[in-house]
Amino acid sequence: MTEERVTEEREQVPVSTARIDVSGVTTAATTGTRTEVNTVFECSGVDVYYGDFRALRDVTLDVAEHEVTALIGPSGCGKSTFLRCFNRMNDLIEGARVEGTVNYHGVDLYQAEIDPVEVRRRIGMVFQKPNPFPKSIYDNIAYGPRLAGARKSALDDIIERSLIRAALWEEVKDRLKSSAYGLSGGQQQRLCIARAIAVEPDVVLMDEPCSALDPIATGRIEELIAELKTDYTIVIVTHNMQQAARISDMTAFFSVQLNERGTRTGELVEFAPTSHIFTKPDDQRTEAYITGRVG
Amino acid sequence: MTEEVRTEFHQLMDQIRADLVQMGGMVVEGISAVTVALLTGDIASADQIITADDEMDLLSLEAEEKCVELLALQQPVAVDLRTILTDLRMIAEIERSGDLVTNIAKAISRIHGVELEPRVRGLIDRMRQQAVRLTAMTMDAYADRDAGLAAVIGDVDDVLDDLHGEFLDAVFDSRNNRKITTQQAVQLAVVGRFYERIGDHAVNIAQRVEFLVTGQVPEHLGAERARARRDQDESL
Repeated sequence: MTEERVTEEREQVPVSTARIDVSGVTTAATTGTRTEVNTVFECSGVDVYYGDFRALRDVTLDVAEHEVTALIGPSGCGKSTFLRCFNRMNDLIEGARVEGTVNYHGVDLYQAEIDPVEVRRRIGMVFQKPNPFPKSIYDNIAYGPRLAGARKSALDDIIERSLIRAALWEEVKDRLKSSAYGLSGGQQQRLCIARAIAVEPDVVLMDEPCSALDPIATGRIEELIAELKTDYTIVIVTHNMQQAARISDMTAFFSVQLNERGTRTGELVEFAPTSHIFTKPDDQRTEAYITGRVG
Repeated sequence: MTEEVRTEFHQLMDQIRADLVQMGGMVVEGISAVTVALLTGDIASADQIITADDEMDLLSLEAEEKCVELLALQQPVAVDLRTILTDLRMIAEIERSGDLVTNIAKAISRIHGVELEPRVRGLIDRMRQQAVRLTAMTMDAYADRDAGLAAVIGDVDDVLDDLHGEFLDAVFDSRNNRKITTQQAVQLAVVGRFYERIGDHAVNIAQRVEFLVTGQVPEHLGAERARARRDQDESL
């Protein structure tokens, strides 16, 4: 299937145009039935600058609801930079600036009145290295809901639900009060996923969530991602192309272009269904990269 | 500025390509050799050709093992995946063409001593020419990844199909004129069919070469029509 056809099919699906108050605490708008492909993010002409340096150029793509979208490409291609555009994490980087539009359920995420903290509650993130807080397993997960004003009586339920959802409950249910640091790397990463989903986000962003894990722990996280997409929309950056092939519905391939000033700018080369990218990519650069004939 | 990061893997794929081209070359040589043996009634050469098929079997098994190993160990994608899938399909097609050469060789002893009419002999030689041409063109298309060349193989095969029809007419004319027996005519007709089948295998290979290069096979058009009919039936 070509990229044009995908866009065409998506356009036929009624996309929610209702403006959603991102500062509110209402859950994500899921208009229509689940069989329709709703668009969660519409990115158009996105550029990211770090000071004068343009790190990413003119990215246009849509992220569909309840799908796993993988971002792949060589180091420096801007895939992590792009991922951080989805929850305004680039705001935290000195001198970083995002141009173009990133619409979330039809709302421009970069409008002045949007509260980035609320954005990050709705759009959670899991990082490369597991980063539990130096607290108990219980308190790690309770942290977000407490901030959001969850009642104490509701916390036990939230903890259990989140841990079950993150496929960690059976392993830790008897030691919820022990330190999160006592868990293995793979367990810590699932704890971080449980922590991310405890605040009932709409989207989970993952930045190379398995790169510090062994193959078994990686397999568990991959299975978890497949389960999580029934409830969440997932965007994942991965260096592991086989992982992107295994777990994602759509794949975006980014590349690096050396410009006339000798600096490197990332760009989106091809965005298509994952099976298309890994069997018959349209762009020669995608083919060269995924088959290891890289420049 | 292409830099290889999977050099060994791609060298192994190139090796399989060379093996397949070699197997194709053996078929081309086999068609010519078996035709000479057929037209001269040379049973000793026919026996040699039959024995030589073992070599083809060995090469095809070795090439298949290499493909399976690359699939298991290298996780090929995109053009690499299409190449190995094409190689696997092609191995079977080339090996089958080799078997057809052997079948012609086996038929030689069955029609030994039969005086063939000049028209029949001429048509056998022209079928040889076309079978050689088709196989060689197809292997060139594969070796050079030439989808354009692969796309015309079907038309070239029509020439062989026409010759095959002419050959059958000639054989049964011979039989009607009592130059050969019915039994001998049937044996010759079967031999003609072997040449014609070699052409069909070349066409199959050419379609896989098109798939390798473009990701499409001609069957996609028919499949699209079937899918449209299915969708229509469901909407009724």
